[in-house]
Amino acid sequence: MQPILSVHNLNKYYGNQVGCKNMNLTLYPGEVVGVVGESGSGKTTFINSISGNLIPDSGKILIETGNETIDFLEISESLKRLLIRTELAFVHQNPRDGLRLDVSAGGNISERLMSIGQRNYGNIRQTIFKWLDKVEIDKSRVDDFPRTFSGGMLQRLQIAKNLVTSPKIIFMDEPTGGLDVSVQAKILDLLRKLVRELNLSVVIVSHDLAVIRLLADKIIVMKNGEAVESGLCDQVLDDPQHSYTQLLVSSVLQV
Amino acid sequence: MIELNKITKKFTLHNQGKTNILVFNNLNLKINPGEIVALTGPSGVGKSSILKMIYGNYVFQSGQIKINNHNIDHTYPRNIIELRKNIIGYVSQFLRVIPRVPTIEIVMEPLLEINSDQDEVREKAEKILLKLNIDKNLWNLSPLTFSGGEQQRVNVARGLIRNYPCLLLDEPTASLDSVNKDIVLNLINEKKDSGSSIIGIFHDEYSRKYLNAREIDITKIPDAK
Repeated sequence: MQPILSVHNLNKYYGNQVGCKNMNLTLYPGEVVGVVGESGSGKTTFINSISGNLIPDSGKILIETGNETIDFLEISESLKRLLIRTELAFVHQNPRDGLRLDVSAGGNISERLMSIGQRNYGNIRQTIFKWLDKVEIDKSRVDDFPRTFSGGMLQRLQIAKNLVTSPKIIFMDEPTGGLDVSVQAKILDLLRKLVRELNLSVVIVSHDLAVIRLLADKIIVMKNGEAVESGLCDQVLDDPQHSYTQLLVSSVLQV
Repeated sequence: MIELNKITKKFTLHNQGKTNILVFNNLNLKINPGEIVALTGPSGVGKSSILKMIYGNYVFQSGQIKINNHNIDHTYPRNIIELRKNIIGYVSQFLRVIPRVPTIEIVMEPLLEINSDQDEVREKAEKILLKLNIDKNLWNLSPLTFSGGEQQRVNVARGLIRNYPCLLLDEPTASLDSVNKDIVLNLINEKKDSGSSIIGIFHDEYSRKYLNAREIDITKIPDAK
């Protein structure tokens, strides 16, 4: 099996400041890779650099579409835009960054559908309802503006908006950050289900090791912009080899 | 078949004065198909560490672990993920409860990885839950609030719903009453008879005898320590 996404020697600097350096990643279809590390360790820079939100200084990003291998940093801007709207998806920590607040919930979900050429109102409406149901938002809210939604609902709406076109690779930056635990559990449960049902390939950033343990197959531990340890998720968490990972794992509060 | 050849395992605690703890110096073990090996020895001697090395949770510094001729190699996590999907099953002592997920779905999950027929998988999950005396009323609830024994039986159901060629059992009967213990032990015996290589930790002699297990006292393996 071919990896669907591979990142080689990726570097991103902000002037002299290291954003992330020498980063590598291999993501297979149906796999979830977690990126952990303390705040300021470069997690978000990394995920932004591999998803088209930031332009890295050097490195290689290869995306396997099934028919061809795309060199993500070498393709034209228009093709890149198309990929970002179809094959890739990005779930932001703050759902307000990923949604249009002055467009109805249904309108938000339909945006990607229309961008891939769907025009039939009835079909689009049906898909919207299917996705509202999947993310447990009541159908009656379809024409409401997202600003009337709670934080947890907004996050679920953002997930629906992103997954509606069945993207191949999903990037998530702290998708449960800032949500209370019961809402977090609901979103984690939803994500786990979707990953299996739709065979999603996901790169997820979180500072919460419990979230990563629940979702991820593999893990990358970052510190000062670099990966200090990576591998099988439960191995790195159960038997961490690097001193920083040991510190991180032993700092988690037990409930 | 599970084979451990010349395994060295140590823990280095970087943040606690770089303390080195040597668990195994030269560990050799072999578990044949259709055989149950029971690890014995005092607490802290490394019984669980052996299971965790075989499952890939723990790394080892040198030597070789082979599962049906596949190497456990941490430089290729993908291979370990595939081995877990197809060859090695693991029943841990405690159920890792996922919030909000109902019991029946927790039990169905491992089988859904290889069989996408929801109805067929559900039927199998119901069957094993019935066998393990988990009340029907509990199937659609999260096991978060279940008793210790119930949680353990859910965990066993999840681990034994499939027929893995290699099976690791970490005290699967620890908090069970005698009736349910026998039920679980019978299920394990069925797996053995179907040709699985099984290695486990059973704290009571009753279970080890019931399973007709080959007992291995870790402190008595030559050169292991």
